[in-house]
Amino acid sequence: MNPWVRGLIYAVVVTNVFLTITAWSIWFERKFSGRMQSRLGPTFYGPAGLLQPVVDGIKLIQKEFLIPASADRILFVVAPPLTVVLALGTAAVIPFNADIIAADLDIGVLYLLALGSLTIIPVWMSGWSSNNKYAMLGAMRAVAQGVSYEIPLVLASLVPVILAGSMSLSDIVRFQIKHGWFAFWPPGPGFFAFLFFLPASLAEANRIPFDIPEAESELIAGVTTEYTGMGFGLLYLAEYLHTLVISAVASVLFFGGWDGPFAPGLHWMVLKTLALFAGIFWVRWSLVRFRSDQLMTICWRYLVPGGLILVMSAGLWVHFTKGGG
Amino acid sequence: MFYFTDSLRSLSASMRNVFRKPTTVEFPEVRRDRPERFRASFALLHDEAGDEMCIGCKACERICPSEIITVELVKKESPITGKKRAYASEFVLDTNACIYCELCVQVCPADAIVMVKLAEEPKFNRQGLVLTMERLYENEKLRPLSWANATRLVEMQSPGPASAVTVAEDK
Repeated sequence: MNPWVRGLIYAVVVTNVFLTITAWSIWFERKFSGRMQSRLGPTFYGPAGLLQPVVDGIKLIQKEFLIPASADRILFVVAPPLTVVLALGTAAVIPFNADIIAADLDIGVLYLLALGSLTIIPVWMSGWSSNNKYAMLGAMRAVAQGVSYEIPLVLASLVPVILAGSMSLSDIVRFQIKHGWFAFWPPGPGFFAFLFFLPASLAEANRIPFDIPEAESELIAGVTTEYTGMGFGLLYLAEYLHTLVISAVASVLFFGGWDGPFAPGLHWMVLKTLALFAGIFWVRWSLVRFRSDQLMTICWRYLVPGGLILVMSAGLWVHFTKGGG
Repeated sequence: MFYFTDSLRSLSASMRNVFRKPTTVEFPEVRRDRPERFRASFALLHDEAGDEMCIGCKACERICPSEIITVELVKKESPITGKKRAYASEFVLDTNACIYCELCVQVCPADAIVMVKLAEEPKFNRQGLVLTMERLYENEKLRPLSWANATRLVEMQSPGPASAVTVAEDK
């Protein structure tokens, strides 16, 4: 097939799949969080409130997109779409199956991490261009947090890369099919790397308990303070997309991607991704927010040294087992 | 360190809640019953024969902490039985200052005044909140009556038969 045609088809399919899952994940989150708090959650539109995301979308689109008089107009308008583009861009290298990969890059992990760290820039753009002190503070916190947590994230992702001896996500999965999932084998580095990967990536995506850039009780709505309508919608969409991509990446790096018995690979990949996604919601509605200094302490005192030890132990494992896993 | 143990506890608490029945209901479609002793407004009652039960004794007027009840006594022949007895010629309960304490219900020797579970509709002026005798007698039919009347409250609050008291003291 013509690579251009193939690329286009995959782009459309992957984009739509991710956006659809994200939309209904918002329904799921509201329902799930409602039940956690002994509420019913959305029930009004459609059976069990299933049409709630559609109604939310219509509501956001109908609203006027206000630009503050003192805002930097170009940056203010460009920032929300850019966050979504960057979040969707990371979806390109995720292998859903042995065959279904939009772009099977040899440096898939590097690409993911690079694009993931770029998401800080539109967040900073939106905070700076709003010309609002709350948005500005939120953006500064987001940048501090993003830059700090990039390091444990890279270290945690390096463990599967070292163990598999490849940066290609599909090669990492093939290695796990042959030798066992990294979360369980080799015992130690893989599992702890997952435990490090999850908080680090949550901090990257600014999710609770690392949502200091938003911190409603302190900063109103952080970087989204001045945004209305679809600008606000896109910023939130990007956050959810980022979380979804994180779940997919974690299931590829640590839980064997499409590996699983009885069912086709795609089913297993989707199942693992959604299970992790639900787990992130579970954490989000159960834990409280860290303070800024606690955040930095966790990163620099625990996650970074621990990550270095994990990388070293993974290297030693590969050295002494001659890469046999 | 405690953050992590507490986090695990809160994670398990929220997950346990997911499998519990929600405490809220879908309000406009599902309405919960009011509690048996809900105190929202007042009503004056008629007896089985259809005669007004209030005897105009002013016990409620005296006990009312907000001093909002006004009763006037009149002796006249009953339109039902034809016998002469005491009636309230005027019974006004000004809910502007009512604290809904139910004391007037407790002291009523004729069980004539009770509370109802459904509140009065909003009114446009203060005069609308003054319950006249006509409105109080209408409320008997209009609104669901609360459980409590004077006899029931006295029974509920009594220490019980003498034998029960002595048994309790022996222990």
